[in-house]
Amino acid sequence: MKRRLFVASSLSAALAGCAPVTNALNDNPTIHGTLTAGSRLNHFAIGTRGMARIYPDSAIMRDNYPVNSLPTPATAVYAALQRDGFRNYRLPVGGLVDRPQTFTLPALHAMALIDQTTRHDCVEGWSVVGRWKGVLLASLLAHVKPRTKARYVVFHSFDSDQQGTPFYGSIDLHQAAHPQTQLALYFNGRPVPADYGGPVRLRIPTQLGYKSTKWVRSIELVDSFKHIGGGNGGYWEDNGYEWYAGI
Amino acid sequence: MRYNGAMDLTMERALPGSSAVPDGRRVVKRHSLTTRLAHWIVALAMVVLIMSGFQIFNAAPYLDASDLSNAQHRILSFGTAGTDQAPVGTTTLVGHQFTTTNWLGYTDDGQGGKAARAFPGWITFPGVQDLASGRLWHFFFGWVLTLAGIVYLIVGAVRKDLRLLILRPADLRGLLPMQLYYLRLRKEPPLHGKYNPLQKAGYTVVIFGLIPLVVITGLALSPGIDAIAHPLTTVLGGRQFARTWHFVIMLLLIAFIFGHVFLVAATGFINNMRSMVLGTYRLGKHEGTGP
Repeated sequence: MKRRLFVASSLSAALAGCAPVTNALNDNPTIHGTLTAGSRLNHFAIGTRGMARIYPDSAIMRDNYPVNSLPTPATAVYAALQRDGFRNYRLPVGGLVDRPQTFTLPALHAMALIDQTTRHDCVEGWSVVGRWKGVLLASLLAHVKPRTKARYVVFHSFDSDQQGTPFYGSIDLHQAAHPQTQLALYFNGRPVPADYGGPVRLRIPTQLGYKSTKWVRSIELVDSFKHIGGGNGGYWEDNGYEWYAGI
Repeated sequence: MRYNGAMDLTMERALPGSSAVPDGRRVVKRHSLTTRLAHWIVALAMVVLIMSGFQIFNAAPYLDASDLSNAQHRILSFGTAGTDQAPVGTTTLVGHQFTTTNWLGYTDDGQGGKAARAFPGWITFPGVQDLASGRLWHFFFGWVLTLAGIVYLIVGAVRKDLRLLILRPADLRGLLPMQLYYLRLRKEPPLHGKYNPLQKAGYTVVIFGLIPLVVITGLALSPGIDAIAHPLTTVLGGRQFARTWHFVIMLLLIAFIFGHVFLVAATGFINNMRSMVLGTYRLGKHEGTGP
């Protein structure tokens, strides 16, 4: 009996010791940095090949499409735009481009739109289907003529977290040129509601949801994102998530 | 301790392809350096993958038997009920709810306290709830497992080691006697080669079945892979179903690991460990070195 008690107590002590050990390993910057090699291999092996599957409209989940845990921006700028029905919304597209331009909502709506029912895969593990209609990002970029130096497209958002850190995201030009990467204007047949990132949000069905920046305020072409935010290419990336989210 | 001195080793190398006729109790070279390295690398990778998998699972603590997330098709979920003062951890398996406070649903938060989370901090990697880090560990060791597995298979095929391990129709006859021997219902094991029939069955299923399947079902969760290979996700029943299969195969692998470690301990721990560390092994009375 004593022996059994000894075994049980040492087993539970060993289990209780697990979390401190795994936490310490995870907190070691050298180890943590080494792990990102896996993410780079994922990007190399998977990349932006292929097309996200297209779903029938019957698969659309209208009633239970989750809203991101981040709330609709409560900033004065966004609130003012929202009050006027986004009439004064302007989308500047600049940076390393030959013809920087600012687009109004009617100008965006007047472009050729793509309309696709695709699946949204969340990094947490769940999946939903919705119908997204908007400007093909590649055709928007064609208007501003990116310079050959440009490597990434950065999307600045109206959103920020509770500490006031602004939300942003970035993709490379391969992903920007993908025929399913769009600046969505419509969600399930209506203008994208505020909770879902309206009036203009990014939609990338071939990567996880956190890459699809909501409430896009401006677009900037850059050769490096080291000088933006925390330097990792996005708000979630600055919080430890991988820049390449095709997996 | 019987095998403490490595020096009684005569280091006779068994002839390749020698028969299953008992070779007596001599010491032979059992596992190549590649096999030994691959074994321990894969063992480490599996532990980290399982633990970081629990970490990732905690972010969406449910499994659906459908393409898309759908509570109607939920077969397993974890949650927290009760009051803030008296939280209750719950586990729901195909509609049946169990109270699993402190173990599942409401459990160890990995920093000395308790929190609403499916799997406890002592089984997740890292212990604290941290999806981003869990994914980094998971993908890094996913590559380690895959690359070590590929090297093991290529070297094993070239050196013809794998031949001895693969279950063949002729081995089927030995499965029952071997099981009866393990259950102590039979005095002696059937004569066998390097691996006994049950070992062959186990290793064949794990190396050629469960491990490839766990990698494939994991890949099917990737939106990038799904875009490249729709049929992969489709045959598994969709992304959420693939997640369920990934979990189920992980449970089977855990069952294998428990059985494997138990048998290593129960059938001559020192001798078995020596074979997987130093490579040398003292044959049992009914063991040979051939197929």
